[in-house]
Amino acid sequence: MNGAQDLGFLSLASLFVFLIPVVYINKRLKLGINKTLLTSIARMCVQLSFVGLYLEYLFRFNSPLLNSLYLLIMVSIACQSILKSSNLKLRLFFGPVFFSLLIPFVIMLFFFNAVVVRIENLFEAKYLIPVGGMLLGNCLRSIIIGLNNFYTGIRKDENGYLFALSLFNSRIQALKPYFKESFLAAITPIIASMATIGLVSLPGMMTGQILGGSVPLVAIKYQIAIMFAIFYTEFFATILSVLFSLKAGFNDMDVLNRDIFIS
Amino acid sequence: MMVAEFENICLSRGNKNIFSGFSFNINKNEKILIQGKSGIGKTTLFRILLGFQAVDSGKVRFNGLDINRENIRKIRARIFYLSQDIDLRKEIFKEIFEEIFSFNNVEYSDRLEEILCLLDLPHNIFDQNIKDFSGGERQRAGLLICFLLNRPVWLLDEPTSALDDKMKQKVADYILKCENNTAIIISHDEAWKKNDIIKIKRL
Repeated sequence: MNGAQDLGFLSLASLFVFLIPVVYINKRLKLGINKTLLTSIARMCVQLSFVGLYLEYLFRFNSPLLNSLYLLIMVSIACQSILKSSNLKLRLFFGPVFFSLLIPFVIMLFFFNAVVVRIENLFEAKYLIPVGGMLLGNCLRSIIIGLNNFYTGIRKDENGYLFALSLFNSRIQALKPYFKESFLAAITPIIASMATIGLVSLPGMMTGQILGGSVPLVAIKYQIAIMFAIFYTEFFATILSVLFSLKAGFNDMDVLNRDIFIS
Repeated sequence: MMVAEFENICLSRGNKNIFSGFSFNINKNEKILIQGKSGIGKTTLFRILLGFQAVDSGKVRFNGLDINRENIRKIRARIFYLSQDIDLRKEIFKEIFEEIFSFNNVEYSDRLEEILCLLDLPHNIFDQNIKDFSGGERQRAGLLICFLLNRPVWLLDEPTSALDDKMKQKVADYILKCENNTAIIISHDEAWKKNDIIKIKRL
């Protein structure tokens, strides 16, 4: 691989030119988003610069321990982000969500590297970190939708849930419809995206590989493989996040704990 | 024999005292009408018996069993709690009905005709979407499940509020004649008071 052509700082900075009309239009239309927009852009630049810096070091050291530690930190940040968006208390749900994400993530990541890509060093930073990031980034959305729909669904329909609980005398049976609804909502976007991928846009990994010098056929193979890996990780992480969180979500009598919600 | 015992229970929610030292016993096969103004804790009594609501202090027993984690499955298996939310997140009534009876492993076919007739429900009720049910149909569908499931204790929260006067009386008479069931009813309907069998408990 030859690698993509490097970008100069000035050429990168040239993209800020288009911010001028954007900011101007926002101001004229009184959209009130300029502050948020500029903060977001600044955060993106700073965060990615830091990522670039420490990825340089991670790739240079290529230490299995450091790489694994980095993955664990990524999973922890993902958990925090999931719980914040799901309106659920971090203190109660961090453990269950951490493991529900970690288990399928680690299995799929190592399967991808060992069986699909067949690299010799399974902890090779060049594969472990970017592939891990893709899996985690895509999992966030489905777990957020899954957990949020599940718990808010029961909260909104509490009388219906309690009726089902008294009727079936089984928590699992009473929870089934809420689980089904939330799981379908969580998993439908990735299924839909697999159906349209390549028709509307070229996915990021493929674009990156082509720019990096891979021939399109290799890039496509990687893209198919990563889509499988993303789907499986999302599927199992979403199921596990609901299952593992039940103990925190319900009391001894199978009634929803009202104090699990942030607001 | 006592079915339910509330012994000196206290319960408050926020600043509001719902029960302070409330005691009450319900005997087997008794029919009790619970009355009281809105928000006084009528439905809360049902929720306590089903383990949906814990009390702050006092004792609650069902069939001599304390209401706790170990006993709650045994207790719920003997109670039917009538709710307005009977759709179980499904659409067609048949799906709901079949799920309930197959899961509870209860055979109902020999009594189906009798109860459908009592409640004046047509056979095609099973093919209808529960979202299209009127309030009265929903209540009668709930009672159909209650009568066919025939659990020993019925907790009925406003079971006749959406029925016409004739049907209110029919349902009240049927329930009061069921000798092998304990029924605790929350209702404002006069139909229940026309029979001496019922005991009235005011909260």
